[in-house]
Amino acid sequence: MKFFMILLVSLVSLYAKAPSLKPVDNALYTKECASCHFGYQPGLLPSQSWEYIMGSLENHYGTDASIDESDNKELLAYLVANSSQNAMNYKRSAKITKSLEKGVLYKSLTQIPYLKEKHKDIKPWMIEQKEVGSLARCAACHKGADKAYFKDKDVEIPNYGRWEK
Amino acid sequence: MKKTVLTLCLVAGVANAMMLNPDMKNYINELKVQASKDDASFKDFDALRGEKIYFTKNAGKDAQILSCQSCHNADLSTNGTNVFTNKTLDPLSPKANASRLTNVKDVKKWLKRNFKDVFLREGTAKEKGDVLYYIMTK
Repeated sequence: MKFFMILLVSLVSLYAKAPSLKPVDNALYTKECASCHFGYQPGLLPSQSWEYIMGSLENHYGTDASIDESDNKELLAYLVANSSQNAMNYKRSAKITKSLEKGVLYKSLTQIPYLKEKHKDIKPWMIEQKEVGSLARCAACHKGADKAYFKDKDVEIPNYGRWEK
Repeated sequence: MKKTVLTLCLVAGVANAMMLNPDMKNYINELKVQASKDDASFKDFDALRGEKIYFTKNAGKDAQILSCQSCHNADLSTNGTNVFTNKTLDPLSPKANASRLTNVKDVKKWLKRNFKDVFLREGTAKEKGDVLYYIMTK
């Protein structure tokens, strides 16, 4: 009985510590993508979005971010293998996937319905201020974003502080 | 006087070029071949011309006034900031950051992209070599 209690407690604590989004675990991705911007976890976008992004790197939100063909292939394979619909065991990826409308190509993170809903109460000045600048700069407020922690308690908005609902 | 400074800079540039790894030396030579094809009077790259390019401002990406220093700073030995994403950049100076100017693939990639961000076009072989010589002196 005692053994089962210990097993139960450790299972519960394991579950509680499980990340709600899979952290980035690809060195090429970190080098090629996260040298310019926050290293968005692949599970934040569906496969179709990653295919669009990797297919249009010459004009990547206004910058030529093209890379050679073999690197592109390798990165796309990693992104698709871990995209939101292929990471449904992670809570955030599942919620992102379920929020998508059929037939819509989401070209950026800021268009994802679940993420729009989660940020709807954020005041425009909080996003527009120079310390943040865009809703796409996750790490400006989500202090654990690099480790894929996106809980409310880890949020700290510049010139505002903790996010309390 | 000006000529002396120029000569000194050229010598310093050459001395630095000799510290490059074989791959990078080959790349510099490729650029030299191309620069000579583009302009028969071309002799060598020049750190002073590179410095001028580095600090030249232009209406670049998103019509924003940019130069190389917008992201990489006037002091190349300090951490920079990508002005479009707020991402911190490691120093561009090879003295401050030993990984700089070691990987030809990376060097080619960044020269192409960053010229396009600032000048909305790729740099010529001469311009790329000049900027590389300037970075080598920093």
